[in-house]
Parts: sequence; structure tokens; C-alpha cells
Amino acid sequence: MSPRSRRTDAEEELRHELGLLYSQVALELRSRSAADSNGGGDHSDGALLRPDFGRAAADLTALALRGSPILGSLLDFFAHQRALATRGPDAELDEFGFDREWTESLLPLFRWAYTSYWHVQTSGVEHVPAEGRALLVSNHAGVLPWDGAMIKTAIFAEHPRPRHARALVANFFFGTPYLGRLLRRTGQTVGHPDDIRRLLEQDELVLVFPEGVKGTGKPFTERYRLRRFGRGGFVQSAIRHRAPIIPVSVVGSEEIYPMLGDSSLLARLTGMPYFPITPTFPWLGPLGLLPLPSNWSIRFHPAVRTDELDPELADDQNVVMEVADRVRETIQHGVWDGLRERRRAFL
Amino acid sequence: MAPTSSGLRVLITGVSDRLGADLARSLQDDPAVGDIYGIDVRDPRRPLGRTEFVHADTRHSVIAKLVRELRIQVVVHCAVVTHQLESVRAMHETNVIGTMNVLAACAGETSPVEHVVVKSSTAIYGVDPTGPSFMTEAMAGGRRRRGPLQVDMLEMEQLAQDFALRNPAISVTVLRFADVVDKHSDSPLARYLSLPVVPTALGFDPRVQFLHGADAVEAMRRAVFGRQRGVFNVAAPGILALSQAIRLAGGRPVPMLSGLFGPLQRLALTAIVGVPLTPRLLSLITHGQAVDCSLLLHEFGWQPAYDNRTVMAEFAEPAEDVIEGGEVQPVQERQLESYLLRRRLRGHQVHTL
Repeated sequence: MSPRSRRTDAEEELRHELGLLYSQVALELRSRSAADSNGGGDHSDGALLRPDFGRAAADLTALALRGSPILGSLLDFFAHQRALATRGPDAELDEFGFDREWTESLLPLFRWAYTSYWHVQTSGVEHVPAEGRALLVSNHAGVLPWDGAMIKTAIFAEHPRPRHARALVANFFFGTPYLGRLLRRTGQTVGHPDDIRRLLEQDELVLVFPEGVKGTGKPFTERYRLRRFGRGGFVQSAIRHRAPIIPVSVVGSEEIYPMLGDSSLLARLTGMPYFPITPTFPWLGPLGLLPLPSNWSIRFHPAVRTDELDPELADDQNVVMEVADRVRETIQHGVWDGLRERRRAFL
Repeated sequence: MAPTSSGLRVLITGVSDRLGADLARSLQDDPAVGDIYGIDVRDPRRPLGRTEFVHADTRHSVIAKLVRELRIQVVVHCAVVTHQLESVRAMHETNVIGTMNVLAACAGETSPVEHVVVKSSTAIYGVDPTGPSFMTEAMAGGRRRRGPLQVDMLEMEQLAQDFALRNPAISVTVLRFADVVDKHSDSPLARYLSLPVVPTALGFDPRVQFLHGADAVEAMRRAVFGRQRGVFNVAAPGILALSQAIRLAGGRPVPMLSGLFGPLQRLALTAIVGVPLTPRLLSLITHGQAVDCSLLLHEFGWQPAYDNRTVMAEFAEPAEDVIEGGEVQPVQERQLESYLLRRRLRGHQVHTL
């Protein structure tokens, strides 16, 4: 959305001209100093001129920095972050602890990851309703929930009327320092039926990953094979609270942390649901948390009209499992289609 | 005289506490309320107006006599400790044994009691960061870690629930109050929030909820007249992050490694600034808690007037210690028995059933 993310021709031109100017000034400065050291020029003249050139050079450097889209956005980003940090008690949190303003200030980072790092190709975003409650249901992979972040970014980047998707995250994370706070501040909440109810009743867009940790914790050899969809609790919630289900297929998230193994001993020691062993983690320490730059695609499928069913059917396990299977099939086929269309996993 | 006046006859336990006293004073302005009696083990610290005060310990079984002789219709049980400042054992005695006696006094064929209001606390839910974001009334107990306060509340409410089942003719309202924080409150949390520099847990900034004392009183007053059956969460609307609450209260949050809230730090905090880091306070400042008050809104048609921001902003103002409503009552009856005897001598009609 911001003009910075896509360089306009005018900006490109300005950058080019500034670059030219800058090199001319540099040349001029160098020839002057060369003339000075030769002792040929008028000293007083040089002394008069030098500070001006110095200032001009500094000004031009600043201009060039601002003209550079990346540096400019970074400066803007940090200025914005600093302004937001001073809000203190004035920051508006919703009842789940979601800080809308701060979350939106992070969007440039995610947008960069979306366009430049993972080259996400999104289709079917028109299936996401512009308003009213809905349940986004997606496959889940990649150890850390970058797929959730990218689905949210996709809606912001591509939808004509962007809105925040509120993801439900494995309960385990909310007891952890920093991560738990970060998740809540960016609009995530605990995967509990009562939390889904509250969010849907407030006509929010809710994002769930029915595979849960079974999806993110699966080995690389089983990539893109969807796990069981729990016991269909998400379908129950959708039917009971009259929300349509929008299946989402994500391709690319499986390659960001190729999980070679899982250390159950370390998992037990750290209290995590699983302990991933990837080519980079834990060998490279925190650096191993850097996701690999795979090629991604996200497709939103047409809604499954669970909102038109009788809410009482939420207690009918047959109906619930049938809908859950249908949603799972849709997502699985979407994943296969996405894999077929993707030319290669990396680069 | 006393039980002959036409209005509602109300007994308030724990009337020397701030909430009980405020409730007594708010009830006595109501024309629908006849006689108000207050009991407590300690002397009232605030004026009680026309409320008659009797020294009585809820931990003893004398209350049955009082209830019957005075023909009490509504009992408001405020003698419940919802914050842990005294010893765990004393708290348990008051909360569990006291409630047991009060409820036993209200039960039975000969009981004139029609309605019982019990003060409880949202501490009953415990604190569980991996649980639902909002605790509804049905979520008490469960698998959460338990502090002494939570255990007390669970046992106490179990008594109230059993009582309601065995005495279907008597309606029971249980009000689960969020932590009351205002200028007059003294609890570990209130002391903690009034520190100028407030230690918080590094990496955590939980959601917190409070309740203004005036709203707690109003909720009880409404329950006296509304006689809503069941359990209700009562908390101020809106949500604050702990850091916001601390800043609004005029302090400065200083994050510390949460592992440092060990025994030594607790001792230091208690010794230096008088803040006992109880298990409840510790879990509140690391993981926080929020409750769902929609049942209250639905059944009472009312929600607390002070939202969390206002509660904290008011807490930051300097406390002026003006007690409205005249001086503290000079005459206090030391003993329940002598009180009842004196009433008889004064010619009050005494109901003995």
C-alpha cells in the first residue's frame, strides 16, 4: 500500500539525479583539494569555498539517503516506533491485548518479507469477506508461525478493504516471556472455544490452524501432507456462531525450517511441544531461527457456507466431521495445485 | 421496635471492613430497607449511621440466634478476606469456617432468611496464561496452580453452592469481585501499585482488571434487591496492560528477570516497602487475568461505572482521608448475648422460634 514498497518511476529518476549530483560534488571536492595541495590556487578562496562544499555534501548525502526507498523507510520506521513507544498508558488495547496501531506499524517489515523475501503469490483474496465474521482455516507448517503472519499480510497487501485476521495460537506460547506478549499485542489469542466465540461475536476475522503443533512439528519428509484436523472443533464453532469457513492453502512454509528430526528429550527439558532439529537449528543458535527464503503461494478458497447451517447442527458430530473433512480436502488440493504451479522451492 | 418496622431487615457480616460499612451506609438511605444490622469481630472504623453494630465472630455459631431473633431477611456476607495480608491460617478460618457458620445460621426450617449475598473473588479462577482469555463463571477450579486464596475461594463457594442446593427457598447470589483497588483499599496489589518504582516481570506485560470499591458496593446493593440467583463476575470494563496500569497509577515499571522474584526478593519487598508478594500477586503481575462480565450485564442490567482507566487514574490521586457521615458510633455492644438481652430489657419484641 505504501508507495515506498513499489518504487515509482519518479522516485527512481530522482535517485538517479541525486546520485549524479553527488558524484559531481565529490569530483569537484577532490579537484579542489588537489589544487590546494599543489599550492596553485588562492588560499582564501579555497577556505571560503570549502565549508560550503562540505555542507552541500552533507545535505546531499541526507537527501540521497532519504531518496533511497529502503533507507528512507527504515528511518521512517524507527521514527514511528519511537513515537509509538512513548504512548505509554494512552495506547489503546482491545480486550485481548491487541495493539492495532503498533501492529500496523510493523506491516512494512512483513510486507517486505511478503514481496521480497518469500515472493508470495496470492490468489482468491476476494473470498475473504470485507466485513462480518468469518473463519479462515489453513494448513500449518514451519515450526514458527510465519504462515500466519503471511496470511495476515496477504490480506493487508491484496484485499481492497484490508482487515486484521486474529489467529489462534497454541496455548503453550502464551506462558512464555516476550513471545506471549508479542503474540497478544499483534492480535493473537489462545486457541480456546470461548476465545473463538468472543472474536466471532465481535464480527472479527479469525484464523485457525486445525493441525496445530502436529502440523508445525512434522518432519521434512512428510511436507505438504496435511495432518488430522483435530476433532473438528473449529467447525463446531463456525456452525454454532454462524460464521462461514474460508479454506486457505499455503505453499512454501514447509521449506523455511526443514525439520530433520525432533528431540523429545530436549522438548521435555524445555517444556516445548516439540524441539526441532533443522540444518541450522540449534547449531547456529539464534541465527538458526532465520527462516529460509523459499517461494510461497497463498490461495484463498470460496467459502464453505457453515453460516447457513442450523446452529444446532454444531452438536451433530457426523455433520461436523463431514464439513471438517471437506475443508481439509479443499486445502490439501489447493496445496497440491500450488506445488504444481510453483517452479522451484528456492530462488 | 426493631423487627417491627416494615422495611427489609438486612444483616451485614464484616461490617467493619470498608466494603461492608459502605454497603450499610448506602442501604440505610433506601426507604425500602428497614433495620440494618452489622456484625464484625473488630470495631467499625467508619461511621455506620443507623446501622446497629454488634460484636460477633462469624467463626462461632452464635449467628443463628441473631438471625432468628432479629428476623433477618437478607444476609450479606462480606466477612470474606479476598486478599492475603494476614496469615494463611487466619484467612482460611474467616473464609471457610466463617462462611460455613453464616450459611448454617441461615439454613433450617425456622430461618427467616430469604436471600443471601456472598462476596467472593476472581482469585477463584487462579491464573493460567494458557487458558481462555476470559474466565466465565463456569470455569472455576480446573487444572490451574492453586494459591491459598484460590483454595479458600473454591471451598467457600462450594459451601455456598451446597447451601443453595439444600435450601431452594433461599436465593443465593455469589459475587466474584476483581481485585478492588482504590484510594481506600489496602491489599498486596494496592500496595504494589502505589510504589513509585514498580518491579515487573521481564518479558511479560499481562492484561489486568480491577474494580472500584464503589462499584463493588453497588453490585452488592443491587443483589440485595434484585435477588439474582447464581454466580456473577464483577470487574471494571475495559482492559489495561500492567505497565499501563502502573503508569496511570503514577509509578514507573522496572522489568526484572522473573526468576528474581524468588524468596529473597519477596522478603526484601516485604521488608522494605511492605508489599507481600503473595502467590496471587505474583501470578497476576506475570500472567494477569481477565474475566467475562456479560452474565452480570445480562442479569443485573448493570455494569461497573468505573472502567479500569478511571479506577487507576483515581488511584493515582492523593488520598484525602475524609470520612463522610458523621463520627464513629460511640456505643458498641461488646457481646452478642448482652446485646440481645439489652434489647429484651428495652422492651423490644423478641421473636423466639
